[in-house]
Amino acid sequence: MADKVLFEFLHTEMVAELWAPHPDPGPGGQKRSLSILESIGFRVGQALGERLPQETLGFREELDVLKFLCKDLWVAVFHKQMDSLRTNHQGTYVLQDNSFPLLVPMASGLQYVEEAPKFLAFTCGLLCGTLSTLGFQSLVTTSVTSLPACKFQVVIRKP
Amino acid sequence: MLKTKSGSFYFVILGHHDNPAFEVEFLPAGKAEPKDDYHHLNQFIAHAALDLVDENLWLSNNIYLKIVDKFNEWFVSAFVTVSHLRFIMLYDIRQEDGIKNFFTDVYDLYIKFAVNPFYEPNSPLQSSAFDRKVRFLGKKHLLS
Repeated sequence: MADKVLFEFLHTEMVAELWAPHPDPGPGGQKRSLSILESIGFRVGQALGERLPQETLGFREELDVLKFLCKDLWVAVFHKQMDSLRTNHQGTYVLQDNSFPLLVPMASGLQYVEEAPKFLAFTCGLLCGTLSTLGFQSLVTTSVTSLPACKFQVVIRKP
Repeated sequence: MLKTKSGSFYFVILGHHDNPAFEVEFLPAGKAEPKDDYHHLNQFIAHAALDLVDENLWLSNNIYLKIVDKFNEWFVSAFVTVSHLRFIMLYDIRQEDGIKNFFTDVYDLYIKFAVNPFYEPNSPLQSSAFDRKVRFLGKKHLLS
């Protein structure tokens, strides 16, 4: 099916476009581009959060919401489920994906690890936006040790 | 003194800060515009029922909460979306099926609006297209 590829191409172009015109790739410009990508992801996440959960108001706890993210949201956007979800039961969750579709075409191993964050910014925003529609303020960060596996750390802020 | 039921419906969508994002009144055909007093009373009844809506939300697993409250002759029914947006309906003639279908259809319509990137979540829904469609759905489900 062509759908998967369409989103991957669009995403690659978004990142390329935001990075291209910077003649001086200093930390200030990079941060701005990262936050633009994150806020695009946030708005998409907000809309997906409204649209995806069909009749499942069974979100009694945070853990149910995180499971929804790992299963339904990941399947809807990336056509696969998240590989593992760990928690410390105190508001911090680590979502691990061993072959993240947006990183798979790039490399396998330690090459390009420094370039990886800009390809993950949109997805961080996506998670943050979906959580915000479902009622949770959160902070999402990523870490990549070797492509294409990556970890998303979600910290739910208590109100 | 026998109070005749007016057969009209008052529908309001409340955002996360209890702000009304959208409200509309459906009157059966042939009725005159009611006095302004009733309009403020409707808003008052809807907001007063919010505590009961929250209570029922924790007790039930459903999205549609059926009858939540009763004030004089008005029944209050609620529907809570996954993003905790509340749809409240005030009515005096019981018509649960019609109201449930109405809520589901308005929810579908609302999702389409929420996906629009130009719509600020929790802001008042001022689109005339939305208004027209909700009135059409109201006539279809509630006043038939």
